[in-house]
Amino acid sequence: MSALAWVFDAPILGCLLAWRWIGLRGVAPGWARRLLLLGMGTAGGIGLASCLYFLVGVLAGSPVAAMAAELGLLGYAVWGAASAWRQGGPEGGDGPLGGAPSMWIVLAALIALVISSAAIAAGWDSNPQGNWDAWAIWNLRARFLASPGLAPRAWSPLLGSITHPEYPLLVPAFTARCWAFSHSLSTAAPAAASYLFFLGLVAITAGAVAVLAAPSLGALAALALAATPALVHEVSAQYADVPLACYFAGAAAFALLDQPVAAGILAGFAAWTKDEGLLFLVLFFAAAACLRPKLLWALLCAAAPVTLLVAFYKAVLARGTPSLLGASVPGAGHRLADVSRYGTILAAFAREFIGSAWYYPIAAVVIAAAVLRFDRERLRRSAFAGAIALALPLGYGGIYAITANDLTWQLQTSLGRLLIQIWPLALLAVLAAVRAPQIATSSQAAAATVPPLKSIDAHERLTGKSRRRKGL
Amino acid sequence: MSRKTVRAPLAATAALAAATGMCLWGCIETYGVETAYQSQNRDPYMISAQFTRLAGVAAAVPESATLGYLTDAAAGSVTASAMRTAAQYVLAPRLLADGTGHDWVLGNFTRPADFAALGRAQGLRVRQDFGNGVVLYRREGGR
Repeated sequence: MSALAWVFDAPILGCLLAWRWIGLRGVAPGWARRLLLLGMGTAGGIGLASCLYFLVGVLAGSPVAAMAAELGLLGYAVWGAASAWRQGGPEGGDGPLGGAPSMWIVLAALIALVISSAAIAAGWDSNPQGNWDAWAIWNLRARFLASPGLAPRAWSPLLGSITHPEYPLLVPAFTARCWAFSHSLSTAAPAAASYLFFLGLVAITAGAVAVLAAPSLGALAALALAATPALVHEVSAQYADVPLACYFAGAAAFALLDQPVAAGILAGFAAWTKDEGLLFLVLFFAAAACLRPKLLWALLCAAAPVTLLVAFYKAVLARGTPSLLGASVPGAGHRLADVSRYGTILAAFAREFIGSAWYYPIAAVVIAAAVLRFDRERLRRSAFAGAIALALPLGYGGIYAITANDLTWQLQTSLGRLLIQIWPLALLAVLAAVRAPQIATSSQAAAATVPPLKSIDAHERLTGKSRRRKGL
Repeated sequence: MSRKTVRAPLAATAALAAATGMCLWGCIETYGVETAYQSQNRDPYMISAQFTRLAGVAAAVPESATLGYLTDAAAGSVTASAMRTAAQYVLAPRLLADGTGHDWVLGNFTRPADFAALGRAQGLRVRQDFGNGVVLYRREGGR
């Protein structure tokens, strides 16, 4: 089987497992539930395949056993899905405000995805090995992990700080799995994986907004993501920031949908993707403890296995390789007291927003939110995602403030990518709190046709019994 | 069973239309910017070319080897960093280690020079000069 076939094998496994065991029973509308399952299956399947290959193929030293284990799991997932199919499968109905979004927004989102994909393809053609970090960090480490017996070189201190041997291994281990299983080092594997994460990110964000707010707003979320220039640019770069953005948004989305198992699993995968994922994990649990305490225990349990794997990697395998944070501690107090650094950081944020054409998707969301207005109940619910989206840049800003590296260089080479990680999460937090278009500006229409939001959430979202209506 | 159609107010429809139009416009502009950028930044570090340039070394050195590294690029420069990292990427799973304290040493040079003399100064002899500034050394006394 080719490397590309092995890339697509993982999302298929993930989708079957997600459909059978997560199911999202009762989440409506049905098309949004399917989008969520596709997104969860893609991100979760790739994460699962990465962990399985790392444990069996790398640590146990047998890629063949890893392949056998994965195919066995795939067989089990097919059997489980077939059993569920015979019993009718997870049910879902239409949402509280109509099962389908406005077709013209869907059409625009599809056009935007096609245009974005064409731009991404230009990047593949121009730089098939990806941009600097792809070949200096992620794909380089994948080449080690794909070589039986030589995998420990992926975290060797000899690689030097430029290759970040301390970084977690979700993306390299997945690429290595595709290469090892197919006995080829095809550049298509990491490129396709990056693109799948992009599609998964769009699917999860759009699906979650459609369920939490309104179908048309879900389509608008997909459109806004496809129209984010920095995000589109990063997909063909083959960095780990798009996967991380997918896990951030996915974890928050499933937590908002009261699906703690899926949310916890994706949060764990975020920590296995990049060091920023560890900061996210801390903020995610802190936000859950404060704003969604009923989910906390299940979230912790679901995230525990992958988090333990990350802890083992950091504490045992990559021990002695300082992280960016660790290397920044000496002299941090002196740098924190340097006020000019804060000005440099704020100026870089401003330049990033202006220079990278963020204004298109941000202006679009601001227009929608300003006219449709926020709903207080939804705002309270989406505060969970909003709090994390606000805290993350503060955390990143703090790391910039103390970094021992040249601050200007650090900002130039990383800030845009860090904002990409947060943007889908922020988009989810804002659009999930906006009123549905039908009730946005007409209280009379709302009173006449739409039940109070609380009863929508409690009854319709959980039962899936629809009050089917058409419209936006 | 009758179904009631709820239409969005005009302002909401207009807002969504404006947001949609803005995103689509941004998307089209992104396509233009991105394709222009990619055509102007085609493999800027010439990674694909390194596979050809270093193919001889990859064929001569076993995958399990750790190679020392010798270069004339200015230490700490972007050129030095790009050359070393690209060589590491292309030669993986072989491992590159700074310095010349290994049996195998990769010479990765930016300009012509007396590579044999450079090696001798480090206790190395030229095993093979592959051209294009790529030289494979062995430590004197090594097999």
